[in-house]
Amino acid sequence: MSSSLLTFSGHQYLRQRLVLSILSGKHIRIDKIRPEDKNPGLRDYEISLLRLLERVTNGTIIEISVTGTALLLRPGVISGGTVVHECPLTRSVGYFLEPVIMLAPFSKKPLNLTLTGITTDENDLSVDLLRTVTLSHLQLFGISDGLELRIKKRGAAPGGGGEVQFLCPIVKQVKTLNFVEPGKIKRIRGISHAVRVNPQFSNRMIEAARSILNRYIPDIYLYSDVYKGEESGKSPGYALSILAESTTGAIHCAEAISQAGVAPEDIGLKATRALLSEINRGGCVDRRHQTLILLMMVLGSEDVGRCRMSEPTAKTIQFLRDVQSFFGTSFKVVQADPSDPESSQLVYSCYGTGYVNANRTLA
Amino acid sequence: AQALASSQESKRKNWIKLIYNSDLTPEEILHGETKDTDEEDVDDFFTIKRKSDVSETEVLDMGKEAYEEGELEKWEDEELLESIRGLFITGQDAG
Repeated sequence: MSSSLLTFSGHQYLRQRLVLSILSGKHIRIDKIRPEDKNPGLRDYEISLLRLLERVTNGTIIEISVTGTALLLRPGVISGGTVVHECPLTRSVGYFLEPVIMLAPFSKKPLNLTLTGITTDENDLSVDLLRTVTLSHLQLFGISDGLELRIKKRGAAPGGGGEVQFLCPIVKQVKTLNFVEPGKIKRIRGISHAVRVNPQFSNRMIEAARSILNRYIPDIYLYSDVYKGEESGKSPGYALSILAESTTGAIHCAEAISQAGVAPEDIGLKATRALLSEINRGGCVDRRHQTLILLMMVLGSEDVGRCRMSEPTAKTIQFLRDVQSFFGTSFKVVQADPSDPESSQLVYSCYGTGYVNANRTLA
Repeated sequence: AQALASSQESKRKNWIKLIYNSDLTPEEILHGETKDTDEEDVDDFFTIKRKSDVSETEVLDMGKEAYEEGELEKWEDEELLESIRGLFITGQDAG
């Protein structure tokens, strides 16, 4: 198809556009990547991501202009298989895993990806939340058997030294989602970890979190995850990743990461308050996972998928626009409770494109 | 009465129209004043936006959304903590 080239501008929303390009098979050209910056063009982590995408696919052609301010991507097929990738220390492995998670179910062969680098940082989802929350969201679409994220070594910023292994099964098609009942929060889980610092820090974060959460429900289990020696990476750091699950399986999550000069108690409280803020936003899907859910709804079988979520984030708004460019699918977004003026929750619905994994080897 | 009507309107955004049939950037949709600002404010707003477009601060493509200022601090309030009890299974009020 000659009309299959789409053009975008700017470095923002790069990851979702790369993902949509590879899934839809449409070529993309992105220009004006930081043209005004004193250090113009693509960053090292963006180049690294492009190289990673090149390796999980077959036949992908990426052309980057001399200045790095423009790139052209002609996507190949998603091949999967065993891939090892070293992530630069400028971004955590979450930055790289988020787009890969969107692609992996549609591979030719199940993906077995090993990533090394920083496992938890401020900007992207930590490996703990990816493992406990993101993968649970994939299960809503029938992607489950053999889906796993193993945290082999932890690596805090700036030294990194962590290692994770992501295993993803392949599917022929994803199920249509119909998730409009948020339910009530029935349990809270958390993972507290501390590497290369006093291991008591982990317990101090848990104590602080419990001081707020104990009032709500008894089913709270905050786990202190200990990594020692080689497995604890190269830099000191600690964090609390916490999630709340409802009676209908809706999950909300939050986390807080160690900062210089801040006590572990305050990190624990910060994570907990962030979680309450997410719970209060409501809906069936965590805010950080809106785009993943919407993508899988677009790819769902030819039926109407519906999901109740909170108001879209900036990323989600742009994602909805980009989805329309790539797949021609528009979502219907309406108030979930028109009668309740307090509620800002919305129901997102769309007609699935009936995307079939054509890469899958027929066995 | 007009003020009330417009505040009602801003609360109930027409998301479909904003997302698919407007030239506003996602940030403008979420944070921009659309209805009840007067002309001058709109001008100011756009000037600032243009300046920040070329500013040095890099907007990272992040997996985690940052919290607005004060969004976490407000949870120190005991009343607010009590107010969301209904969202948990132990809460009495079926909200």
